[in-house]
Amino acid sequence: MILLENVSKSFKNGVHALRDVNLYIEEGEFVYIIGPTGSGKSTLIKLLDGELIPSSGRVVVAGTDVGKLRHSKVPLYRRNIGVVFQDFRLLPELTVFENIAFALQVIGLDKVTIRRRVREILELVSLEDKAKSFPRELSGGQQQRATIGRAIANSPRVLIADEPTGNLDPEKSQEIMELLEKINQEENTTILMVTHDSNLVDMNKKRTIALEEGYIVADIQKGGYIHHD
Amino acid sequence: MIQFFKSIPFHMRSAVKSLVRHLVMTLSAASAVMVTLVLLAAFLMIAGNVSGFTNHIEDDIRIHAVLGEDIVSEEQLQTAKAEIEAIEGVKEAELSSKENELKLWIAEKGEIFSIYEGENNPLHNAFFVSVNDPDNIAAISEDIISLDIVDDAMYGGNSISQLISMLNTVRSGIIIFVGLLGFLAIFLISNTIKMGIYARTNEISIMRNVGATNSFIKTPFMIEGMIIGLLGSVLPCIGAYFGYSYLYKAMGGQLFSNVFAFQPINPFVFEIIGILVITGMLVGILGSFLSTTKYLHWKR
Ligand SMILES: Nc1ncnc2c1ncn2[C@@H]1O[C@H](COP(=O)(O)OP(=O)(O)O)[C@@H](O)[C@H]1O
Ligand SMILES: [Mg+2]
Repeated sequence: MILLENVSKSFKNGVHALRDVNLYIEEGEFVYIIGPTGSGKSTLIKLLDGELIPSSGRVVVAGTDVGKLRHSKVPLYRRNIGVVFQDFRLLPELTVFENIAFALQVIGLDKVTIRRRVREILELVSLEDKAKSFPRELSGGQQQRATIGRAIANSPRVLIADEPTGNLDPEKSQEIMELLEKINQEENTTILMVTHDSNLVDMNKKRTIALEEGYIVADIQKGGYIHHD
Repeated sequence: MIQFFKSIPFHMRSAVKSLVRHLVMTLSAASAVMVTLVLLAAFLMIAGNVSGFTNHIEDDIRIHAVLGEDIVSEEQLQTAKAEIEAIEGVKEAELSSKENELKLWIAEKGEIFSIYEGENNPLHNAFFVSVNDPDNIAAISEDIISLDIVDDAMYGGNSISQLISMLNTVRSGIIIFVGLLGFLAIFLISNTIKMGIYARTNEISIMRNVGATNSFIKTPFMIEGMIIGLLGSVLPCIGAYFGYSYLYKAMGGQLFSNVFAFQPINPFVFEIIGILVITGMLVGILGSFLSTTKYLHWKR
């Protein structure tokens, strides 16, 4: 599903964010990406969603060579992947229902399909009773569940979450974790989750890829957080 | 395509919301369009009428070429006609026999000259020479005089052709202004649209995030630009209609004489209005196309 071959990314200011990264992730896997701040985790995500182009090497997602996409083809490619960020980025003047529907409207689905799919999603993320609420009326955890709902609304094959629990307390974080596991199982969505949260990683053991200064320093099948002394 | 039409309500709502939010910018951009279109209307009115005038007076601007006394036989007249028509810029040379010349003379100067009719006719055979471009009439007249067979050549309508060339100059001046103002209008519209884009960066980044195509993201802004252009064209259209109708009636449909007949109100004004509306829309669409394209291509 996801393949990185000798991928390096350096910026104009001379920073080498990723160095010779090789990685293969199968369809339906659930993978953590961990590492200290500045180790290149967000850069890896931006390479995957087509926002950045690798300086060298190849990034292939669902059969598409992402780095070679023409500018005008990036949007169509992006329908294959959902991305969730740490800051929730819901539209404040729209209700939860409308926020999720928005993602389907802008890719041109018809009203009936949109309504049916949004109901499904609301149930999946357990927000049926908040459909008519505005983002400001929700707790942080509920807001993040809504953005996850929006990201998976068009059934992407890959879901990438950049520190989705970064602003949440441990209990809410565990809730989000369980939601992601549910999506992974029920929709067979491949999930990449960037996180800082060592408790979460220790409690829900999965394949864990550790980045440091742009290098992959560990790739452990039944993970757990890597503790340094 | 079907998807596009289904999305129209979505786009219209976004466009109108954004226009209202940036009302001052919207109005200033629309005024720039308005000024441009008022000048464009003036240009079109002058241009449309001048070309009408030119057609009407072509007949009036003719060179009267009087032949030598000895050019009398049919054969000599044929040769003279050929020589005159060979001059560059000459459209046609029409014979006016000395009998005809006397008739015109009598018509102009009075019955008293009818005593010259018949054997005593002192006038010469002549040609009325029409030209392709009234602007060149002086030079062509010189050329005709320089022919051996021609005694003299005169032309009327000097002041008319001066008026026309003046109107042509005014017309060129206006079109330059229209061009410059058009640029200004496009610039102001693209700035207005840019405000709209920045006010909605969050929304746009979500759209990109979930895979909305560039053209989908651009559409409401294009509609916004189009509405600005249409807003700007309302007053010029009304002004053009009433302005031209008023002028037409006040001048009795003509300038000085029926040589300068104005274009009739219908369909002339409506053609102008059509051009104004389309130009306003195109200017609006172009302005927003420029700023949205620039913004969207700045990021992947
Ligand atoms: N657009 C950019 N331009 C220049 N340097 C950048 C850019 N984005 C990230 N970096 C640098 O690349 C390195 C990796 O950043 P990032 O991928 O955001 O790390 P992480 O998400 O693991 O904290 C950092 O040193 C960061 O400063
Ligand atoms: Mg980061």
